[in-house]
Amino acid sequence: MKPLLAALALTTALTVPSLAMARPVTLTATLNNYGGDGAYLALYVTDSSGKYAGSLWMAGGKSKYYQHLTDWYRATNGDTAQVNGITGASVGAGRTLKITLDLADALFDAGYTLHIDAAAENMRESPNEVAVPLTTAGAGKTVKGRRYIANFTYGR
Amino acid sequence: MRKTLTLLFATTALTAAIGFPAWSAMQPSADGSLGAIATLFEEGAQAMPLVLASGKDGDDDHRYRKSPRRGHDDVDDDDDDDDDNGRSSRGGAGNPAPAGMVAPPQNGLFGNGAPPKAQVN
Repeated sequence: MKPLLAALALTTALTVPSLAMARPVTLTATLNNYGGDGAYLALYVTDSSGKYAGSLWMAGGKSKYYQHLTDWYRATNGDTAQVNGITGASVGAGRTLKITLDLADALFDAGYTLHIDAAAENMRESPNEVAVPLTTAGAGKTVKGRRYIANFTYGR
Repeated sequence: MRKTLTLLFATTALTAAIGFPAWSAMQPSADGSLGAIATLFEEGAQAMPLVLASGKDGDDDHRYRKSPRRGHDDVDDDDDDDDDNGRSSRGGAGNPAPAGMVAPPQNGLFGNGAPPKAQVN
């Protein structure tokens, strides 16, 4: 009985930290009615030194257009492996993109910044459309974009 | 009696010789591969090339280029599936794999929980 309890305690102790290391985070971006076709959006994270840390989402499936997401493209050299499995459709004007991701807790309150680059057909590119620090206190607060994004929020 | 037994043995052997390869071809083994004898049939099947009857390949991209409004250097709208010819479903032709097809990149940002979900309203 005693070895069984010890094994149970051990597996519980090993499992609980892994559950606590990440949790679902919802990112919501509503686009302006800018009067153009669907926008490509690159959502990515930089660390406290401003260095690219990784991508969170790519709205728009054709890599030939990624060069218009200029900051993301410069940071990744257009490497599509960065957005494998986290790519969806582009987002139409006036529409809302809602993404739910299982994100590491270590991203929050650790100096990371979430960036969104945006671009739309025959319209100006908008690197760093949104730049928002990832903090617990910032969750749920609305941030305005520069050109295409009317508002953006993230919530845990 | 001995003659009957010989006859019985011969018919059993004949049935086994004919039936076993056929049975083997229909029964996958535990590891998903076909049986040893069925491998002969499988090899023959692989040697035959897959021929597509449809001439659809390449047509869509041609149509896309003909459009006066759009160039390949420009960003398109929501018609992502139009000129991919289905390649993007697996991230082919240099396009990334869509969410749900493969796991997110191992960049340290994602946990091992639910896969990414997105919706556009």
